[in-house]
Amino acid sequence: MTAATSRTRIVAFAVIVAVALLVAVAAVVLGAGGKTPVAATAARAVPVSRALVDAPHIVFRDTSRGADYGRVGIVPLAHPAARPAITGLTCDRVYVAGARGLCLYANRGVITTYKGVIFDARTFRPQHSFSLPGNPSRARVSADGRLVAYTVFVVGDGYGAPGFSTRTFVRDAASGRELAQLEDFTTYRDGHVIHAADFNFWGVTFAPDDNRFYATLGTAGRTYLVQGDLARHRVKVLTEGVECPSLSPDGTRIAFKQRAGGGIGPVHWRPAVLDLATLRSHPLVETRNVDDQIEWFDNEHVSYGLPQSASSPVTDIWKAPAAGGGRPERVLAGAWSPAVVRG
Amino acid sequence: MYASVRNVPAEVIAAPAVRTGRRRIAVSRTVILLGLVSLFTDLSQEMVTAVLPLYLTYQVRLSPLQFGFIDGMYQGATALVRLLGGLVADRKERHKEVAATGYGASALCKLGLVAVGGAWLGTTAVLLVDRLGKGIRTAPRDALISLDSERAGLGRSFGVHRALDTVGAMLGPLAAFVLLAQLPGQYNTVFLVSFSIALIGLGILILFVENRRDREPVGDELAAPAAPKEHVTFRAAMGLFRITRFRVIALVGSGLGLLTISDAFLYLVIQRQTHLDVKWFPLLFLGTAMAYLGFAVPIGRIADRVGRGRVFLAGHLALLGVYLVLRFADLGAGAVLCTLLLFGLYYASTDGVLMALASPTIPERLRTSGFALITTGTATTRFMSSVAFGAIWVAWGSQVAMLVFLIGLAVMVPAAALTLHRHPEAAPA
Repeated sequence: MTAATSRTRIVAFAVIVAVALLVAVAAVVLGAGGKTPVAATAARAVPVSRALVDAPHIVFRDTSRGADYGRVGIVPLAHPAARPAITGLTCDRVYVAGARGLCLYANRGVITTYKGVIFDARTFRPQHSFSLPGNPSRARVSADGRLVAYTVFVVGDGYGAPGFSTRTFVRDAASGRELAQLEDFTTYRDGHVIHAADFNFWGVTFAPDDNRFYATLGTAGRTYLVQGDLARHRVKVLTEGVECPSLSPDGTRIAFKQRAGGGIGPVHWRPAVLDLATLRSHPLVETRNVDDQIEWFDNEHVSYGLPQSASSPVTDIWKAPAAGGGRPERVLAGAWSPAVVRG
Repeated sequence: MYASVRNVPAEVIAAPAVRTGRRRIAVSRTVILLGLVSLFTDLSQEMVTAVLPLYLTYQVRLSPLQFGFIDGMYQGATALVRLLGGLVADRKERHKEVAATGYGASALCKLGLVAVGGAWLGTTAVLLVDRLGKGIRTAPRDALISLDSERAGLGRSFGVHRALDTVGAMLGPLAAFVLLAQLPGQYNTVFLVSFSIALIGLGILILFVENRRDREPVGDELAAPAAPKEHVTFRAAMGLFRITRFRVIALVGSGLGLLTISDAFLYLVIQRQTHLDVKWFPLLFLGTAMAYLGFAVPIGRIADRVGRGRVFLAGHLALLGVYLVLRFADLGAGAVLCTLLLFGLYYASTDGVLMALASPTIPERLRTSGFALITTGTATTRFMSSVAFGAIWVAWGSQVAMLVFLIGLAVMVPAAALTLHRHPEAAPA
């Protein structure tokens, strides 16, 4: 290598490094650029007032590209398009019912830690916190706020590892004490005990008596709807093909996500509603992919989150008639994890 | 870092030359440069690998099982391009250019991930190209390392390269999570930064690494007219298997690969047995990488002195140690630490050492093809081992799976030792 060509190469390398730096800086600036300045958000948000939480309202996770990304927001049920009040809580999953709420979040870092917080549904002040053994998936609170249930992915982060597994916990909301892990329950099917190493439970929904609950059991690539008895530590299989159940306010129906299509590629789920008396189900009008635990808007409507586009972290909350038919309707933009608090 | 090698004569750099018994051997400039190329490329690669599970779950919405399945199908395609790349590199004597194609493809894939915007078909297609890029580049890069190292210092050369490579692999996840912590959900930022880092690695390769034939004065060839060059063909590459020592090394490497439990599974076994909080999972990877980094150069030097075959086998004894601890010991913090040290030792004694062991058996004009054949063999058997381990785990539990692999490895290592001993390396010419 002569001195001249060596100098040319060094100049060329300097140019490459400069271009690389430019791309990196531009990427970081653009990535941060979606954020609206804090002042603008502060103007958008209204403080959490007593009047707001006393009236029926929707609690949600803010996913608009702003400084409030991930914060818990509140809008009046009567005027969901109103400017949201933004609380001090930041969650990946949030749910509120009765007197309490449950917030699950990840502290992302070199070592990511996961935490759960039980908070007061009026003041949004944390009351109990505990660590989670994995990535948050589902969060639910019983109607009177006495119980909380949540599901985490335990090995969901390890591709190339043997599949994923979930773990589902129930805690007493007043004391924060752990009451049960669904994986320890005895499972019955047609009166017989069944068991397999790959049993996974997820997506609890509580009945008003704070003892009966419904959840999904996944095993050998199939999913089942189970009805559980918290006091007796047992669950029984009701029917197949039901994921992430959500009990209607009147306790007669279950909204769930139903696998549509199959083969390779991402799973596509459509919302559907099951009548508990007949165990018959019907799909809803929504055909887009709903990957969430559905929330009942009222006895006649369900609501759920959908991303604005395939790769967008920004999501909206939609509602659709529970009887089928009608048209999906956007309730709230830039929101996820809705909880309808009817007061 | 680069400045220190800039003004040094092309042949050697002033890296600490060591005494290897009879004479001093320096690590060549090419080895250091390729180490830096790998450092930047691995940094870029591991940034993406670290966030990929999150990205695929939350943005692309693939389940882990689906991704595992697709990834498995790609393994076959990789084996094909590996051989093809090896043949082209050998035939044209353009190792650097073929390696650059692989590095370039992987760099472009980072832009590709941004371009397809999370559509699942596009994303998996980009990941396929990324894997192909990795398949193409490995053998010509290792050929450049071996062709530019003295026979007596091969182990150390590969050790130095793998150590630099590991530094990048350790920094990658760190960089990715720092970015994601600041800009939640902005995967595109991670991919673009990853691309820019890959660009630097590619720049070092294209601008500063040279094929040996470009560096040797033409006069030499005229002065010593070599035998007329045989055309490098697929048949010629396959002919390598007629060389006994090569065949034995390929066989031993692949055979031991059958009993190698992948790190993902090993960490999972550790996690299950210790009830370790999942949040510490990355520390297992980090601990192994640190041990690998620490051992890579010293083990390479030891391999040069006491024999690369012996060290390669000793590395598998370390792996056997890992299995024994995991299967029978009461796993406390000390035992876990011991496992990670042994696992790092295993990597340091086998990964680069296998290439150093095989180098002298492969004629220079077929070096890349030879490496491609060996790595295709080990990659294939390791993949088969993962499938088997997973199947046994699901059917009978991890304890049974560990025991099966433990016994298998305990039988295979002495058998491999016997085979290597019966067919020793020909004395240096």
